[in-house]
Order: sequence, then C-alpha cells, then structure tokens
Amino acid sequence: MDGQPPLTRIVVWLGHLLVLAGALGGAAFALSVLAGGAAAPPHLALPRLFPFAEMSLSVDGLSAFFLVVVALVTAAAAIYGPSYLGAHAKAPVLQTFALAAFVACMALVCCAGDAMTFLLAWEGMTLASWVLVVSDPREENARAGLLYLVMAHAGTAALLVVFLTLADHAQAFDFAALRSAARGLDGRTRTALFMLALAGFGAKAGVVPLHVWLPKAHPAAPSHVSALMSGVMLKIALYGIFRFGFDLLAPASGPLPASWGWTVLLLGSASAVIGVLLALQQHDLKRLLAYHSVENVGIILIGAGLAMVLGGGRGPQPLATLALAAALLHTLNHAAFKGLLFLGAGSVLARTGIRNMEELGGLARRMPWTAWLFLLGAIAISALPPLNGFVSEWMTFQALLLGGVRLGGASGLLAGVAASMLALTGGLAAACFAKAFGVTFLGRPRSSHAEHARESPAPMIAGMALLALACIALGLAPGFAMPLFDRPTAELLGGLGASAVVTARGPLVLTAGGPVNGLEATAISMTVAAALFALLAAAAWVVSGWPREAPRRLAPTWTCGMTPTARFDYTATAFAKPLRLIFAAVYRPRRQIERETGPSPYVLRRLAYTGEVVDLAETMIYARVKHWVNATAQEIREYSTGRIHGYIGFVLVTLTVALLVFARP
Amino acid sequence: MERTQHIVRIATETGLLVLLGPLVTGYVQKLKARLQCRRGASLLQPYRDLAKLLRKGTVRSDTATPFFRAVPALVLAATVTAATMLPVLWAPSGPALLPVGDSILLLGLLALARFLLAIGALDAGGAFGGMVASREMTVGLLVEPALMLAVFSVAVAAGTTDLGELAARRDSLAALSWQAPDLLALFGMLILALAETGRIPVDNPDTHLELTMLHEGMLLEHSGPGLACIALATHVKQLVTLTLVATLFFPPGLARGLAPPEIALALGAFAAKVLLLATFLAVVESSYAKLRFFRVPQFLGLGLVSAFLALALRVL
Repeated sequence: MDGQPPLTRIVVWLGHLLVLAGALGGAAFALSVLAGGAAAPPHLALPRLFPFAEMSLSVDGLSAFFLVVVALVTAAAAIYGPSYLGAHAKAPVLQTFALAAFVACMALVCCAGDAMTFLLAWEGMTLASWVLVVSDPREENARAGLLYLVMAHAGTAALLVVFLTLADHAQAFDFAALRSAARGLDGRTRTALFMLALAGFGAKAGVVPLHVWLPKAHPAAPSHVSALMSGVMLKIALYGIFRFGFDLLAPASGPLPASWGWTVLLLGSASAVIGVLLALQQHDLKRLLAYHSVENVGIILIGAGLAMVLGGGRGPQPLATLALAAALLHTLNHAAFKGLLFLGAGSVLARTGIRNMEELGGLARRMPWTAWLFLLGAIAISALPPLNGFVSEWMTFQALLLGGVRLGGASGLLAGVAASMLALTGGLAAACFAKAFGVTFLGRPRSSHAEHARESPAPMIAGMALLALACIALGLAPGFAMPLFDRPTAELLGGLGASAVVTARGPLVLTAGGPVNGLEATAISMTVAAALFALLAAAAWVVSGWPREAPRRLAPTWTCGMTPTARFDYTATAFAKPLRLIFAAVYRPRRQIERETGPSPYVLRRLAYTGEVVDLAETMIYARVKHWVNATAQEIREYSTGRIHGYIGFVLVTLTVALLVFARP
Repeated sequence: MERTQHIVRIATETGLLVLLGPLVTGYVQKLKARLQCRRGASLLQPYRDLAKLLRKGTVRSDTATPFFRAVPALVLAATVTAATMLPVLWAPSGPALLPVGDSILLLGLLALARFLLAIGALDAGGAFGGMVASREMTVGLLVEPALMLAVFSVAVAAGTTDLGELAARRDSLAALSWQAPDLLALFGMLILALAETGRIPVDNPDTHLELTMLHEGMLLEHSGPGLACIALATHVKQLVTLTLVATLFFPPGLARGLAPPEIALALGAFAAKVLLLATFLAVVESSYAKLRFFRVPQFLGLGLVSAFLALALRVL
C-alpha cells in the first residue's frame, strides 16, 4: 500500500474485511442449509418495492450450493485484495465499494425467491462488475466494458422476455407461482422459453458463440475481481440455467424434453473445445485464463446436459445424479482453480506490470510462492491427477460412458462424441498450461521488469494458498464434498442424493454406476492413488538423491556452444506453433514478415514479424452484426433531428402505441 | 487378511512391471539389431545403463529452479503409480478392496508424467527444451483422446472402466468376445502404442540429433541418478502401454488364485503377450522411416478415427 493516503488504506482494508466477514457468514449459513436435510428452505420476505410484486429471498439446496461457491472465492479475493489494490489501483476506494456490491448482488441472485429480486440483483451484478472493468481508465478497457455491457443487456433482455411471459401467465412474480404457471404451458412454448433463457444466461456464462466479450472484459478488471468474474459470476449464470432447466420450466413429472439436454450438451462440448483452442494461442496471461473459463463452463454444461437427458423417467436415476454431481463438483472445482490462477496472474501483474507472457520468464526463482501455487492450479485445471480437476472430469467421463451405454443408438453416439471432446479438451489444456507456466515462470527473464520482480506480500500469498488448499482437499478426498451436492441433486432430479450414488463405498472411494441400475460400478480412490504417488516419489527422491562420491555441479544450459541468453528461450508463440498449424482451419492464422535488406538481399537490416489468429465467432458473426447495426444506424440518422423534444415525441408515440396494443381491458 | 493379500498382489504385479521394463527395451533393441544384420547389445544393456547412471554425478543447469531436481522422481512415481492400475497376473475376484485399477486414472497419471517432464524441459531454458516440450505436448494431446476412445470402446461393452474387472469379464461375457469394434480398436491402439512408447514413425528413441527428437530432447538437461529415474520411467511406460493393449484385447491367461501352476501359466501368458507386442514394435521400427513432425497428426488421426469408429459401432 505504498503511496496512498492512510484514509484510503483504512477504507480499502475495512471494506475487504467486511466482504470477508460476509463471505464467512454466507458460507456458514449455506453449509447449515445444505446439512439441513429435508428441512424447508429458509424464506425471507423483503419490503415491497413495487406495488405489483412481492419480493422475497429463498434459499434451497441449489441456492445454498452456489452460495458456497461465491463464498469460497470471495473469501480468497478479500484476503488478497487490499495488498493488490495498494500496489496497483487507480481508484481503490471505488473498486472496494464496487467489489462489495458485486459480491452482494451475486449472493442475492442465488437467493432470490422471485423474478423481480432476481432481475434487480442480476442487473446490479452486471453494473457493479462493469464499473470494475472500466475502473482502470484505458482505451481498451472502455471498449471491453462497452462490449460487455451490450452483451450482458442483450442477455438480460432475453431473460426479461422469459420472466415476463411466465409472470403474465402466473399473475405473480414469486418462483412458486412461475413454476406452476410454466406447468400449464404447452411443450413448445416451454421449449422456446428454455432456449431463450439458455441464450440469456449463456451470454453471461460465455457459452460459444456468445463468449466474445468474456476474454476482453475479465482481464480488464483488477485481478481478484477477474477471479470473481471468471470463477463465480459465470457460475451464477449457470445457476440460472440449472434453476430454469431443472426447476422453473420443468414439467410436473416425467423427463425433460430431449431437445433441452442435447442442446446444452452440444453447446457445452463446443464451448469446451473452442474455448481451450483459443486459449492456447493467447499470450496475455489473464486473457488466456479467461478463455479457459469458456472451456470449463463447457465442461460443466456437458455434465448438466447429460443430467437433463438422463433425468426424469421412472424410478431413481443414479446416472443422472452422477452427471449432475459431476457438473456441480466441476463448478466448485473451477471456482477454486480458476480463482487461484487469476490471483497468481494478478500477483505477477502486480510485481511486473506485464500481462504479456513473452516479456516475462524466470519468475519462479524470483516469486517462488506465486510460481508453485500457480503450477498447482495449472495441474488442477489440466485435469491431471491427483488434484480436483481430474476428479470432476472422471465423474463426467463415467456419466458419459455409462449414460451412452444406457441410451444406445444415436444418443449414445452423441455421448461418445462428447466424451471424445472432453478428452481432447484435457490434452489441450495440459499443453496450454505447460506453455503458460513454462514461459511465464521458467527459463530466463525476458524484460527488466521480470528480472527485478520480487515476491508478493503475504496476504496475497495467503489468498492463493486458501484456494490451493481447496484444490488439494477436493482432489484427495472428494468424497467428503459429496454431501454438499445431496440437496441440490435430490431437489433437481429427485431420488437419491449425490453421496448415496457416488460415495456408496465410503467417502474415500468414488464409485460410478453402482448396482442400482444394473451396470457394474467403477471405483477409484483418489486418496490411495495420491498416497501411492507420494510414497513412490519420496522413495525415488531418496534413491536418486542418496549421497555418492561422484560430484554435483552447476553449468549453463547447453545451447550448441554459445553463451545462453534469454533470446534462446522458447516463446509462447513458438510453443503454440504446432497447434496453430494443425488446427489452422479453426485459427485462420495470419502472419506478416517484413524484411528490410541492405545493399545485398542476403544482408538483413531489420526483420519484423506480426502474427495473429482470429476468433471465428468474432469474424463470422459479430463483424457482420456490427456492420449491419452500423448500416441501420446510418439509415436511422436521417430521421434524427438532434433536438430533444423530437426524441420525446418518439418516446411518447411508442408508449401510446404500446399501451393501445397491449393494455388489458 | 484379504486386504493384505490384495496389497501383496498389487505390489507383485507392479514390481514385475518395473523390473521387466528395461528388459523389454533390451529385447526390442536386440531384435532391431538382428533385423538390421547387427549383433546388437546384450538384452541386459538397459539395466547396465541404469546402474551406470545411478553411480554418476550430476550436472544441473544454472537457470533451472529447485523443482527441476524433483521432476525425475515425480515422473517415475507417476509412471509407476499408473503401472499399479494394470492387472498383470491376477484377475480380481469380486470388487477390489483397494480400488486401484481405473483406466482413466492410468491415462491421467501418464499425462501427468508427460506434463511434468515438459515443465522440466522448459525449466532449464534454451531452445531445445522448449521445442521438444511443445512437440511432446502436441503429440500427447493427439494421442490421449484417441487412447481414451479406444479404452472406452472396450469399456462400454463391459460397463466399467476398471481394467481388472474388464479383463476378468472379457472371458465370461459373450459381448466381449472378438467383434468388429475390437479389431478396429486394436488397430487404433497399435498405432497409438507406437506414439505412446516413443517409437518410429512418431519418434526415434535412438536419435540424439536435436532437431528430430521428441522424448529424448526433454532429457537433455537431466543427468546422473535423475536421468536414471526418467530412463526407468520410460521403460516402465513402454511396458505399461503394451500391457494395457494386452489387457484390453488379449485378456485370457490371468490367474484367479494363488496356486503355483496357475501363477506359472499367468506369467507365461503375460510374457507371450508382451513379447508379441514388443516384436511388433521392433518390426515396425525396422521397416518404416520416421515421419516428419507435421505428418504425425495425420498418422495419429488414423488411430483416432478407428478408435472412434470402434466406439460408435459398439454404442449403436
């Protein structure tokens, strides 16, 4: 907190401590609800803001679970935040207030018991996060903020249509009334409403092709807010999809329409693969992480979509429960490791001022805590055992496999396609994080900022360590987290809770399938595997490190006899080159090489290289939409007089026409 | 009592894979030499190399972090943990007391070893480390999904991804007797095994020319006992890959009990399967040229497509 007035410091610290206290309180409350078994969900009536709508908060199992997700990352971000803002921020007080409002709105969205509260909190969440995105006044941030605002409001518009249609039928705004109104609708309307809701929430969750704002806006915010936006805000949008798909719009009995589940599943598969492919070509550390959020939202949607497909029907559906538990576990896992990675990237940013990993390097020796915690997060997000990312992907794989067998035919094949996409995603993520970690933290520093970096202060490390512990705990003993999913899965799918299905053989063993549905179970014990791994590593370490007479020495890295410099190190661009060529159809890579030669063509004076890859969604869809919008705006310009009373006239005419058409007698 | 017996079984099987790993490499090298009309080194040469490396001193890069020294131990540990997942001699009777046998976990642990090795290669700095790490991760991400699909195509028929269960049921279930999907999956698996064991036409284990190597390039900065660990891990990984193919497609011969003749039979069957597959590696390696790196995706694509078709045929 150097160079800021003491009052600012105090306000920032107090604000973050309050947020931390709120997170801890929220976590305690949510856990008590989740542990509450069949008790009725806590319900709280709010003061009547509008004459036509009751407002209330209601916390059932699904809400409580998402509150836990919010609380976990918020706690870490609140510990991390003050030091980070002290080092970096242009407007720390504003950012602290916006952060508190942002977190509070996210919690309120989860707890909302009616449409009005939901929409108000949803809008508050968008605006607070927008303030944080543009709080660092720079041209690119302002552009990112504008795009974010447009996309978010397009999504909200879709949600408004859904809510108002339901409210129109229900003549009330609370969720119970909406639910029963939806049951009265015919199947086609309900499907249309679900697709609209999916688009609305998908725009917020970053589902392909609605993801383009995400990699621009998330990195622009302060890093602990990026962690919250990527780790939590996307989950709030997923909460909306869960709430609508499984609860509000679901038929009174029987399975959900098949088209819902398959749409979600296929969108999820596409998001997973496209997100990670685009992430691979990013050199901006925070933008790379933001693209990975698109990937992970995809993975969660694969599980959710499968649960929709398998759920319903007669009797308990352990496979649907397994799929939903996998999706929920991945939600929690992604919050933990993506939060950790963003905080790590923020630690690098705070100490070097650089986000471009080509200019970093060699940080592991200068910032060891940040580096090793980031590596832990990298292993977790790459779905490598023994950390938590592997566990949820394992469960998703099992659900896809066993579900594929049960469904058979073309549906089974689609499940197989999703499984192969998921497998490809894991490999791509591992390659991406080998690059991100290796180029940022290993080798030699490639700029003086990186060379003179120092380790971040203890509170920032503590924030990262908290999330790292969550990654380890969820990886080694995931069985103990399963009771968290009992209430949500039982509420959304009926039948057995998650822990009855997944940890049928005790909390240390995960089982998939189970004798319940006739298919045999597969069981793994992450605890045993990790213990075995640790034991063997210790043994190998002792054997290979045993003192011997032969000498140990240090020497420069072999570079064919030349003196090694930082320019020998492989860059991120070079690392990703093979993939750029293999997946050229997706990337459409462009590169331009300018040579300036001297008197002879063999003497190079200067060589300039520029290369870029495109986001196909951006060039194929958004560029055209933008073009169309611009053209239409030009047309409309003819009629715009620039005088204010002219516009008031337009508004008045529109209002009158609307009232004449839609008003009820 | 039963638990102890189970642990002893797993330890025996893993020990067997670790001890025999170098021998399989020796056999492949010997056979290749004979096919090329050379006499070749002794079958035991890999053991001698390991013993020599263990006695040697170490030279460490001065840019490397302390993590670099831990990489060999972690890579070896991940590979050996993966080896525990395989049934080598015994098929499980009833649900396993210690659930270590999952094929997804096996592939995940091999991926972990690959990831750590690539991190180690980047750690020293220098262009070779970065280049091979990039290539190795690229090959890895093409191989892994295809391997998973091949495994899944067998697993969906058995309803489990537990390798022991899978092998045990392959004898008893009619659905698991050889069918077209098996042939396709085996074909894909053999292609992928070439890549996973780092052999021609994907990689060349004998090369020390920087521009052509994949796996070897990641070992450039390792030396002494650390290099021994990684070399052992490479031998074990090769045997693990071969045993995985054998488990999925040639499961008969696994023992059920502890009677000596039964165990002898299981050992013989295991040796025969591994010898057959190792011979395949040696023959392919002697009769093909190494592919250019950017041809490799097409070659692996063949494996991916056949594995996917196998899965599709099985599910439809």
